[in-house]
Amino acid sequence: MNPCHDYLNQLTRRQFFAGAGLAMGSVALNLLAPRLRGAVTAEADARIHPALPGLPHFAPKAKRVIYLHMNGGPSQLDTFDYKPGLQSQFNVELPDSIRAGQRITTMTSGQAKFPVAPSIFKFAQHGRSGAWVSDLLPWTAKLVDDIAIVRSVHTNAINHDPACTFLMTGSEIPGKASVGSWISYGLGSENNDLPAFVVLTPKFSSKVSAQALFTRMWSSGFLPGGHNGVALRAQGDPVLFLENPNGVDATTRRAMLDGLAKFNHHAQARHGDPETLNRIAQYEMAFRMQTSVPDLTNFADESPATLDLYGPDVKTPGSFAASCLLARRMAERNVRVVQILHRGWDQHGNLPGDHRLQCLDTDQACYALVTDLKQRGLLDDTLVVWAGEFGRTVYSQGTLTQTNYGRDHHPRCFSVWVAGGGVKGGVVHGETDDFSYNIVRDPVSLYDLNATLLHCLGVDHSRFTFKAQGLDQRLTGVEPARVVREILA
Amino acid sequence: MFNPVPSLRPILIFSFVVATAGAAGVQKNISFNEHIRPILADNCFACHGADAGHRKAKLRLDQGAEALASREGIRAFAPGDLAESEAWQRILSDDPEEVMPPPDSHKLPLKPEQRALIKRWIEQGAVYQKHWAYEPVTRPDLPKAAGGAKTKDAAIDRFIGAKLADKNLKLAPEASREVLLRRLTLDLTGLPPTPQELDAFLKDRAPDAYDRVVTRLLASPRYGEHFARYWLDLVRYADTHGLHLDNVRNLWPYRDWVVSAFNRNLSYDQFTLEQLAGDLLPHPRIDQLVATGYNRSHLTTSEGGAIEAEAEARNTGDRADTTAAVWLGLTANCASCHDHKFDPLTQREYYELGAFFKGLADRCWDGNIPKPGPIVLLANTEQQARIEAIARELPPLQAALSARAQMLPMTLPAPVAEAEKPATLRNASADKPEKKSESPPITYEVVWAEDGDMPVAANFGAPALAGEWRSGPAVPVVSGQRALRLEGAVNERIFTFATGETPLVVNQQVVAFVYFNADPTRAPRAVSLEFVSVEKTKRYVWGDPAALRPSADGDVVVGPLPPAGAYARLEIPALAAGLASKKAYRGLRLSQSDGAAWWDHAGTTCTSDKALDDPLLTKSAWVRFMQSNARDVTTVPLPNDIVFLLGLSSTQQNDAEKKRLEDYYRDYIYGPTRGALEPEVHAVRRLLAEQVHYELTLDASLIARELLEPLPAHILIRGQYDKPGERVQPATPSFLPPLVARGPRASRLDLAHWLVDPKNPLPSRVAVNRFWQQLLGAGLVRTPGDFGAQGDPPTHPALLDWLASEFMTSGWDVKHLVRLIVTSRTYRQDSRVDPSLLELDPANKLLARGPRIRLDGEVLRDQALAVSGLLRPKIGGPPVRPYQPINIWEPVAFGGSNTKSYVQDHGDALYRRSLYTFWKRTAPAPAMSTFDAPSRENLCVVRGRSNTPMQALALMNDVQHFEAARAFAEHLLAQPGDDGQRLTLAFRSVTARTPDPTERALLAEALVTHRTHFAADTSAAAKILTNGEAKAAASQPAPEIAAWTLVANLILNLDEAVTRN
Repeated sequence: MNPCHDYLNQLTRRQFFAGAGLAMGSVALNLLAPRLRGAVTAEADARIHPALPGLPHFAPKAKRVIYLHMNGGPSQLDTFDYKPGLQSQFNVELPDSIRAGQRITTMTSGQAKFPVAPSIFKFAQHGRSGAWVSDLLPWTAKLVDDIAIVRSVHTNAINHDPACTFLMTGSEIPGKASVGSWISYGLGSENNDLPAFVVLTPKFSSKVSAQALFTRMWSSGFLPGGHNGVALRAQGDPVLFLENPNGVDATTRRAMLDGLAKFNHHAQARHGDPETLNRIAQYEMAFRMQTSVPDLTNFADESPATLDLYGPDVKTPGSFAASCLLARRMAERNVRVVQILHRGWDQHGNLPGDHRLQCLDTDQACYALVTDLKQRGLLDDTLVVWAGEFGRTVYSQGTLTQTNYGRDHHPRCFSVWVAGGGVKGGVVHGETDDFSYNIVRDPVSLYDLNATLLHCLGVDHSRFTFKAQGLDQRLTGVEPARVVREILA
Repeated sequence: MFNPVPSLRPILIFSFVVATAGAAGVQKNISFNEHIRPILADNCFACHGADAGHRKAKLRLDQGAEALASREGIRAFAPGDLAESEAWQRILSDDPEEVMPPPDSHKLPLKPEQRALIKRWIEQGAVYQKHWAYEPVTRPDLPKAAGGAKTKDAAIDRFIGAKLADKNLKLAPEASREVLLRRLTLDLTGLPPTPQELDAFLKDRAPDAYDRVVTRLLASPRYGEHFARYWLDLVRYADTHGLHLDNVRNLWPYRDWVVSAFNRNLSYDQFTLEQLAGDLLPHPRIDQLVATGYNRSHLTTSEGGAIEAEAEARNTGDRADTTAAVWLGLTANCASCHDHKFDPLTQREYYELGAFFKGLADRCWDGNIPKPGPIVLLANTEQQARIEAIARELPPLQAALSARAQMLPMTLPAPVAEAEKPATLRNASADKPEKKSESPPITYEVVWAEDGDMPVAANFGAPALAGEWRSGPAVPVVSGQRALRLEGAVNERIFTFATGETPLVVNQQVVAFVYFNADPTRAPRAVSLEFVSVEKTKRYVWGDPAALRPSADGDVVVGPLPPAGAYARLEIPALAAGLASKKAYRGLRLSQSDGAAWWDHAGTTCTSDKALDDPLLTKSAWVRFMQSNARDVTTVPLPNDIVFLLGLSSTQQNDAEKKRLEDYYRDYIYGPTRGALEPEVHAVRRLLAEQVHYELTLDASLIARELLEPLPAHILIRGQYDKPGERVQPATPSFLPPLVARGPRASRLDLAHWLVDPKNPLPSRVAVNRFWQQLLGAGLVRTPGDFGAQGDPPTHPALLDWLASEFMTSGWDVKHLVRLIVTSRTYRQDSRVDPSLLELDPANKLLARGPRIRLDGEVLRDQALAVSGLLRPKIGGPPVRPYQPINIWEPVAFGGSNTKSYVQDHGDALYRRSLYTFWKRTAPAPAMSTFDAPSRENLCVVRGRSNTPMQALALMNDVQHFEAARAFAEHLLAQPGDDGQRLTLAFRSVTARTPDPTERALLAEALVTHRTHFAADTSAAAKILTNGEAKAAASQPAPEIAAWTLVANLILNLDEAVTRN
């Protein structure tokens, strides 16, 4: 018998909180944060991390988010933003009227020419909606009636570091709270055995040196530290320090924790600090995580059909496919936010070859994730987002040939898709010019995208604030942001 | 649920509530600053405040003159007259067009209690006050003491006590002596008291016993380490650049300077001057230069596509923001796009503040190198003298070399037809050329040893060469003036590429050669040649292989020695020797077995398929090669400035820098002319190698230097770097006292003097508030980075001013201030939490009890190391890399980063104080970040104190904590006494408290439980001993150590252990 299970069997969650001594956990939370008093419902009472009072602001469509970040900047021109007219423009100089003096990075600003590089990938229309998708993404193409493709997202930043920081925290300047931390802070967690916000950083296949990630992309910034994303790791302990030390088994750990709890109750009686009760609850959650995380990462209970759906990579720990299956398993367990950051999309050169490898990593798994969620009835209240930090230029960086080209960073338009809770499937929103250089219809800023995301979760972005650095901070910044209602169901 | 648009009904209800509340429970005397300003700031100032650009209806409510004035018969606030107060009527209005704040502002209607306060304030005469923080610091009279105490030391308690008395409360009794000693020791040194220190204190019943402990702790070097850590959070000190590659940055001497400054009790004003402008002080000392590392501690980048103006604007902004927050408690960044909405800082003033930093000489690019200039080398006197001598000797020699190099053509050698190639070359190639090249291959010779000083770089610091370069009529030479005479057994001498040279890459056919001339009377028994490379290559031997040291990777015996008395060309082909294509080699290693011989003219014959891709023929190819292969610059012997330039993309280099790189390439790298230049350069090389050696191996720190001509500063329209507006000069905000400029242009030094001018109301208040926060868990102003209208007003304004005044009067004496605080009764209170008091004052703003504070990650780790005896006391030096879980850096790092892989240290480095742990900004050590340590990417004025399961897992399972428990167990077992005495010692070592009977029973129970378990499972017990690298004590049986380890692990996880009571 697994002593962890024994313990959990003895103390179901309800008993755990209703039981002598530990029942004070909820009392403690009330005392700790007077603003919670009176606001906690019976359900929230049983949650270690309840939502803020007043949240959600209105009935949410989505209860949780799975955020698939394609780090480095996938090319919209080679995936979703079909520009058939470019085929006749091969190697033709990008017209000045299109570039209109817009800044470009110093990697190509010195180029003598800006030759148009049409995509070498074939596009076709798919589904009832007839959305255009290139043959780089045959699996995603099958999803078009379930997802909303936004081709008119734009960002302010032109280089990776600030652009990723902007995408993930709503600001280019480090120090703000990440999207996942905001959601964890506002909506809390409905799972007492797993963190509210989990981050995965799977392997990638492109051959170029991938851009760096930064913990600030899942950091709580100015929000309380408990809302940091918790990395679920493919190597070493799946959650940091999850494994007991050599020679300590679960029985021993349980015995140590029993002793610790007695001491801490005794201490609490001595000095009366409610934070001590919170600490007891956190140690118990840590103990439960020692079981719940291995349960989460063990795919033994998945059917062969499900594993097949995700493709052969799913059996490789740390692959994007395995990460997607983990995300679905966390959705089942009500983890609030799962963020998967897949690196390697920064193709300044050899874009066709390396984008192909990147899509082989991700395409089927994205399809599998949405499909699997749908089959299990989870897609209705799970929001799935697929986004890079910017797009790529229509002109080639470096040598352009009939079979090869590179593309520089392009912040002025790129394609993102969203699916699930609250989102209308089969929608293609926004339009760019013939060169996929400028947006000509329905621009969507990253603030708008984040406002929409929060809206699906029942949160009015303009009223969701945290006072820091002298300002009522918002995920959507101080400039006006708009919920993109056109893509909502 | 909130109601965004107020309907009629709630308003009426609110009004009713207001009337009731107004009559009953509201304050007697309303203070604008304490009660009204926070409400107006939060709800009104965004549109009716300092920002002229966004002001609505031309009405400002943050200044009485305007708010009380009558404009066309309408007054926002009419003293004593609610009906005439338009603002009040608007607050009450139920008309969505009229009501304030308006619905589209997303502000909620004012709460009943807020309305009650405003109503009362108007009734009392609507008296405005200036914002408290911008009023001069005065020295308030001490409130009457309850107990009649009159000494200065009781001042804090009088202020705190007076406010408590208002609420019919009083200070809690003093904490027990045990709790007090642990609190004080942790607060002043970041370490727990030892049981010996505890015993000594408990025995010492003299009235000044506590004061003497304070004195002892303030004198401890641990004090400086602990206090420095808080400062390093503020100024975002770290060991990496922070952006993109996030490579190593060498700034740790600045960290050590901060430690030393606290330990020396450098006055806070001098501390300020030296950090901001130590370089501008008259005849600055080295340590004062190191202090200016403050100006270099921000994030930097060399991301390939980054735009200089953008990066420069961000750096300047970051410097201004940090300085404003740290010294002025001002959220200056709010004014980067528009005038500050809440505080009287204009956008223009923001850029005037930034202008002080526009004269700093460092480039905004870091070049991804550890020591981007300007730096100061930290040499001893002897080294310093040599550095200066090199700096004198080198330039003329380099100039001569350049002059000669300019005369040599850099046109490419003519292609060599296949038939003309030397036979060895054709035979050497094991592979067929992969592809037919577009143009015929070019063959050229690179000579790197001609007339002397051959193995410069490799030999620097190594034993002298067993041979000498000789010249004269009797010396046979191949070319040039000299040849090398080697006599006797010479093992593994190296002809290496000298300083600055690139490792050659076998992307071409390569044959290395040297000319050899055996002495006819004493010919060596054998000689050998071998490539110097990390790859395994075969050694080529002439003569008897048995006469040489055995070779690890195998020999190719070419044949007998060439005939003596004449030069013969010895050759080794790269591919045949085992160097695969694309592999690099750094030189040629030769050995000679006995006898005597002349050696001369060593080099390489290269055949290049494509000149444009050959680093020795084309500069851009060399740059590409260096950028992709030489990220870890510490292994490449190049001058620091060249390494820096190689870290920039070509568009990031200015014209002078481009020329520097061109010249360097021409003089030192370009292959075909090297033989001709060689006689000229060996002296240069030797000096250059020595210089590089100093730059690489000496400690150095990034410092501030002032440009002769500062960059122009502009207002950036809407904060955009590419929208410069009006040009501005350095100046300080007009709402604060004037700056005194000592020259035509105000300098950083002027700014620093202004920051510690006693007339400046902010710096002293902001500083004492932070020390108060550090020692009492929260500041008197609870927003330590915001003393403006949006910040919290001080809970005890008079005390804050008294402390600020005392701090300045004492000469900004930090230890004096600390002593004042920690000897107060307020500080010494028991931290027991009384339920009714918790209800009344949950955030403990009144300070009717001592605070309980969860210890920071650094203190938790240091505490575990200290009680276990593992802690190593060494102060300062380069950062160390203790245990860290695998795969923390790798999943996030850029492929080319030199902080991609974490390589853990061993031995003492595992047990240094946490202050010295290497700080990678994009992935800080989990031992710290799990406990709310900031990333140090931006300034941090206060850390959070979360309570998470991740912390529980870290304290239970992190090898550094568990190893400490094991070492602690072994330490306990080595002490005399029985179980009970050892358990008591264990408990006391961590909590400083003797366990009560219940706790003794719990300890005993835990020991029995674990002892029983490990006695039955000895293999588990043996495994316990394998945690961590510290050797387990052999004197105790494993089950006993294991049981005690679990008890120690329990004690180190106690709520009381992780908390400062």
